[in-house]
Amino acid sequence: MGTANQKEFINRIKMALGKPFAESRQKADLFNSEMSAESRAILEHIKNRNAAERKKLLETLIEAAGPINLQVISCDDISAVTGAIAGLVRAKDPEWGDQKSVVAWAHPLVERLNLPAALSEQKVPMFVTGSKSTADEDLRQQVIDAYIGITSADFCMADTATLVMRARPGQARSVSLVPAIHIAVIKLDQIIADLKELFALLKWDPHERREGLTNCLTFVSGPSKTADIEATMVHGAHGPREVHLFVISA
Amino acid sequence: MTKITTENYVAEARKAIKNQVLQRALADLQNRFGRGTAECYRQLPEGPDLRLKAHEIRMKTIENLDVVLETLAANILKNGGHVFFAKDSRAAVDYCLEVARRHQVRRVVKGKSMVSEEIDLNAALMDAGIEVSETDLGEYIIQLAGETPSHIIAPAIHKTRNDVGSLFAAKLDIPYEDDPPKLTWIARKALRQKFLAADMGTSGCNIACAETGHITTVSNEGNIRMSTTLPKVHMAFMGMERVAARLEDHDILLRLLCRGAAAQNMATYVSYIGGPRQADQVDGPQEFHLVILDNGRSRILADAEFREMLCCIRCAACLNVCPVYAKIGGHSYGYAYTGPVGAVVTPLLVGINRAKDLCLGETLCGACQEACAVNIDLPRMLLALRAKLAEGDPAWGVKPADRKEKLLWQAWSMMIRKRTVYDFVLRLAALVQKLMPQRDGMIRRLPPPVSGWTQGRDLRPLAKESFIQRWRKGF
Repeated sequence: MGTANQKEFINRIKMALGKPFAESRQKADLFNSEMSAESRAILEHIKNRNAAERKKLLETLIEAAGPINLQVISCDDISAVTGAIAGLVRAKDPEWGDQKSVVAWAHPLVERLNLPAALSEQKVPMFVTGSKSTADEDLRQQVIDAYIGITSADFCMADTATLVMRARPGQARSVSLVPAIHIAVIKLDQIIADLKELFALLKWDPHERREGLTNCLTFVSGPSKTADIEATMVHGAHGPREVHLFVISA
Repeated sequence: MTKITTENYVAEARKAIKNQVLQRALADLQNRFGRGTAECYRQLPEGPDLRLKAHEIRMKTIENLDVVLETLAANILKNGGHVFFAKDSRAAVDYCLEVARRHQVRRVVKGKSMVSEEIDLNAALMDAGIEVSETDLGEYIIQLAGETPSHIIAPAIHKTRNDVGSLFAAKLDIPYEDDPPKLTWIARKALRQKFLAADMGTSGCNIACAETGHITTVSNEGNIRMSTTLPKVHMAFMGMERVAARLEDHDILLRLLCRGAAAQNMATYVSYIGGPRQADQVDGPQEFHLVILDNGRSRILADAEFREMLCCIRCAACLNVCPVYAKIGGHSYGYAYTGPVGAVVTPLLVGINRAKDLCLGETLCGACQEACAVNIDLPRMLLALRAKLAEGDPAWGVKPADRKEKLLWQAWSMMIRKRTVYDFVLRLAALVQKLMPQRDGMIRRLPPPVSGWTQGRDLRPLAKESFIQRWRKGF
């Protein structure tokens, strides 16, 4: 794959940089292969976070969510979330066409919501992007047809009210993107402070680093927006018009 | 589309200054974003000095760019992606066309990318019979109107809601509408069809991460996520300098990028993309290609005086504070890159003589450096470019821009170094100035070739006696 090309290209850069040549430069210094004391302290801090600090992060998250129109709903138990989502499904209208359908990740937390049963009385079908039995094309159509997409997330950064999602089997990237409304469900202990904590976890936490960033790590901070026409802020440019985030405290 | 028209700088600037709608839009843009960004920097826990740290990080990466890019490429290959190193626009465009042919691509959706403007990708794809749709709302408006972007982040600021309404009515065959939310929904609907039908999506790259092997895309609308998730091929373009070595570096760079670009703490969407859909995944593109572009950048890298310019992350914060950009708008700059960043980068990429007016037109006030997310010393480089234009520089192929001006300065420097000559010239000037039209003790007009000086101002005449004469007489 274009290795000759690459060689010539890199050589031009080497020439441009001049001395000292790459071999003598400190590569170890460029990519730290050892965890720094700072990263270690961050990981320790995350691990030892107590209930009060977690609550504080939730408050920070709610505060940051306000200006970007992200709806954060804190619930004590999972059945309250199921009820609230059923309420949203009832209250909201589909954006394209008049058929209501919902698409969701194959994810333990989403499964625990037991949504298919809760939605069956409204006769709203729910498709799950996990089953490899469904052909990719059919699955794509289910996502396109759905007006609500339900996901969880790996983390949520309180500082900027940002959901962090990795690409995994059963957890389609398009579920948080193509439907008009995105609903995410997370647990309180998934809230972290900021980018610094996120990157420390992804790079140095033994469990997290095994999976790494995956082939697509996505940050979502509130609903899609644009201000391209006379600087007027409008939600729902291409992505979801609304994002609802449920945080389960128990 | 992206024809280089830097030669028309003065004429285009004149037009822009007379355009009242544009003047209001530019003032409004700077009021919001310029001030907003400064406030965002102040509120950083580390304060505005974080930009200095970011500069260090960028410079270190640039000085090890060979190692960093090889690491990036190796990691992307490991994740199943393809990497192509393009030495110029032609090579980049050809590679994209070749991949498009292999996949029988008929429709392309484009996420915003300045590099794709630089290499004029749209024209090449359209020539190959491929339908190209810009998907950023501002870019979409510009494409429908058949124009070029006038701002890196807000490409359609020169359009009013009425302009957009008439444009949509004419091009999309719908009734006239001028409510921004409704107009946005019309574009949302039209572009949704494009996303769903496209065979290839293209994007730029804000800052890649070498050690993990990812590019990043940043947007508020979600168009880039759409373009890079739904079509079966994703083709990303990046200038070779748009990379950071470590994930930790992204903490600082990403925070400053969002603040510089739109006075936001975080953009709505940020994606780290490092390869195609994996075997067990149900969506995402089947192929991921990254084109890394040189196109004159290695020459900038080789020159210690301009190497710093490669730190730029194209956030456009400098446009939002520049007093020159505020008056002449983006189109005057005649190339993809506008404002202070354009005034330095464009001459370096397209030819210093050819784009000389861009660096001559700036004021050297320093607002750009203060707003710069990575604290690039743009005024210093503007001066360096002017020095090349004054003296000529064979290494860059620069011919002295104005021999008359150079002669004038040589005469001046000779005069002020010889007391007798200086006194003589002063006395002569004191006599000659009596011939000039005056009013209220001010000279109203100077004759050619210096008439330009008095076009917009009056000139104070020389005093009857010089300081030295008065000194000699005793007070």
